[in-house]
Amino acid sequence: MNQAIIQTDRLTKIYNPDTVPVHALRDVSLSFEQGEFTSVVGPSGSGKTTLLNMIGGLDKPTSGSVMIDGVSITGMKDRELIDFRLKNIGFVFQHYNLIPVFTARENVSFIMLLQKRDKAEMMERTEKLLQQVGLRERMDARPKQLSGGQQQRVAVARALASRPKFILADEPTANLDSASAMNLLDIMEKMNREENVTFIFSTHDQRVIDRARRVITMVDGAVESDIATDQKSQTA
Amino acid sequence: MNAKLAWRNLWRNRRRTLITGASIMFAVFFAVLIQSMNRGSHEYMIDNMARFHTGFIQLQDSRFESEPSLDNVFEMDDALFERIAETHPNISFLVPRLETFMLAASEQQTRGAYVMGIEADLEHQLNGLKDHLKSGRFFTPGEGAVVMGEGLAGRLDVAVGDTLVLLGQGRFGTTAAGKFPIAGLVKHPMFEMNDQMVYMSLPDLQWVVSAEGMITTLLVTPERVRDTDVVAASVRESMTENGEFTVKTWPELMPELLQAIEFDMASAYVMSAILYIVIAFGLFGTILMMTLERVREFGVLLSIGMKRPSLSLVLFLESLLIGVIGVLAGCFISFLVVFYFYHHPIPLTGDLAAAIMDFGFEPILPFYLSGSLFLEQAVIVLLLSTLICLYPIIRVFRMDVLQASKA
Repeated sequence: MNQAIIQTDRLTKIYNPDTVPVHALRDVSLSFEQGEFTSVVGPSGSGKTTLLNMIGGLDKPTSGSVMIDGVSITGMKDRELIDFRLKNIGFVFQHYNLIPVFTARENVSFIMLLQKRDKAEMMERTEKLLQQVGLRERMDARPKQLSGGQQQRVAVARALASRPKFILADEPTANLDSASAMNLLDIMEKMNREENVTFIFSTHDQRVIDRARRVITMVDGAVESDIATDQKSQTA
Repeated sequence: MNAKLAWRNLWRNRRRTLITGASIMFAVFFAVLIQSMNRGSHEYMIDNMARFHTGFIQLQDSRFESEPSLDNVFEMDDALFERIAETHPNISFLVPRLETFMLAASEQQTRGAYVMGIEADLEHQLNGLKDHLKSGRFFTPGEGAVVMGEGLAGRLDVAVGDTLVLLGQGRFGTTAAGKFPIAGLVKHPMFEMNDQMVYMSLPDLQWVVSAEGMITTLLVTPERVRDTDVVAASVRESMTENGEFTVKTWPELMPELLQAIEFDMASAYVMSAILYIVIAFGLFGTILMMTLERVREFGVLLSIGMKRPSLSLVLFLESLLIGVIGVLAGCFISFLVVFYFYHHPIPLTGDLAAAIMDFGFEPILPFYLSGSLFLEQAVIVLLLSTLICLYPIIRVFRMDVLQASKA
């Protein structure tokens, strides 16, 4: 582990502040370092997805701030945020959310196209990533022609394609059978170990929690515990 | 990539896209057909009216408009003919006329008559006048005979072989009078002209009104009716620079005909507008469904870094592509139909045909064929597509990324 790439400072999110206030996050201050493989766990409504949305710049906090690599994204305008996400953050969604009319190859290269990468580099990286997730033979298949596990592996390749600083994965194994989930976790863990890619998951899945090297437990919008499973523990 | 994405999105629901494209195709087809029939009929009407009455383009002495008298005639010679003929390649031929009003009298009756000095062969080339001869024959130049409208002959109670007396004012106040044998009677297609028309050979009338070598108007006939404006502009440019002549086109000479056509065209435009409103709603329905069922996808695209203008461009292209597919298909099938009927006009039958034949016109429903006919429909549909795609574009720009990706 090395320097912090994500820092949240007293992050608070209150939905419906004027009517029926719901405290989704309460003064959450966390720090994530490069190369982490972290699970954010907790019951439904505990705020884990909200936390990931804040870190991913998809939602704005009521108070507090999020710093990514020393840059505050809290005050960024929508256009700046979209650009920031494109350059810095990879997303893996519970429902895969691939573009249904694109092939696996096109889904992965699309994000590099948005980044206006060189075509040759784009092709090379796409093939490499799809090979890494074990789908080199299915590059020209469309999402409908792939199983759930395969789709999620394409989604991981897509998230990695933009060379993000970190990847946010919201319940990535929730819709997968056991074998596919294990296979996906193997791939992500391998990427993390070999290429130092930072993964932050929100999950209920014990298999993910078991693999994580840091587990943050949230209850009622606050961090209840923050445990490094390699024995370096922290407290909220 | 945006175009590829738009194109593939279009075929996600093949049946819906085909139905929408087909509705646009039929709207374009019917709109082209309506416009083609309307413009064809109007062009045919203008063609017939102008040929028998004012011509398409008239060259007059510049003083003739304010004072249409024989004092304001101009000299007709070969040099003038050549000069005008060279102004535009689409000039087909020139027809000289000397026109005046005189009193026409028989033994019992006197009536006002519109006397026209013509070169019979050129006039026939313009409007097939000789084919409207009902009795007798046409005069020969210098014969001093006249051919008159059946209606006027009836009013004066004269027939072929009788003598017609014409009395009027010649050039510069001279008296113009003479007795002329009636060589033939024509049934003029226009009622009011049939009741007052007297034709005489041009040299004969020039002699009667003391205007030897002079004419009141020179009709410039373009190759096609639709060339009128461009030919008139060329003639006007080269012939009016020293103020000697003025150039008039048929809408200026027959404003009431133009108004009637414009009124008729308005009904065709209303029909086309109804067609387009119907397809606009069809297209909007498709675009609306394509938008609503993909809100989550839009949210995801914006989440991973696609910019809103790029996403809007994809949506615009989708709307545009459906429009283009419909327009191309519609233009293609309407072209085949219009092309056929342009060369094979629909023959009319029954009372309508009889009424048209009474006017001396061929009883047909002619079609109009021009690139502008198809271009106009294409522009309308593409404008509609652009207008309709504003909905998803506005939606994308107002979209909350988080809410959308949860949809």
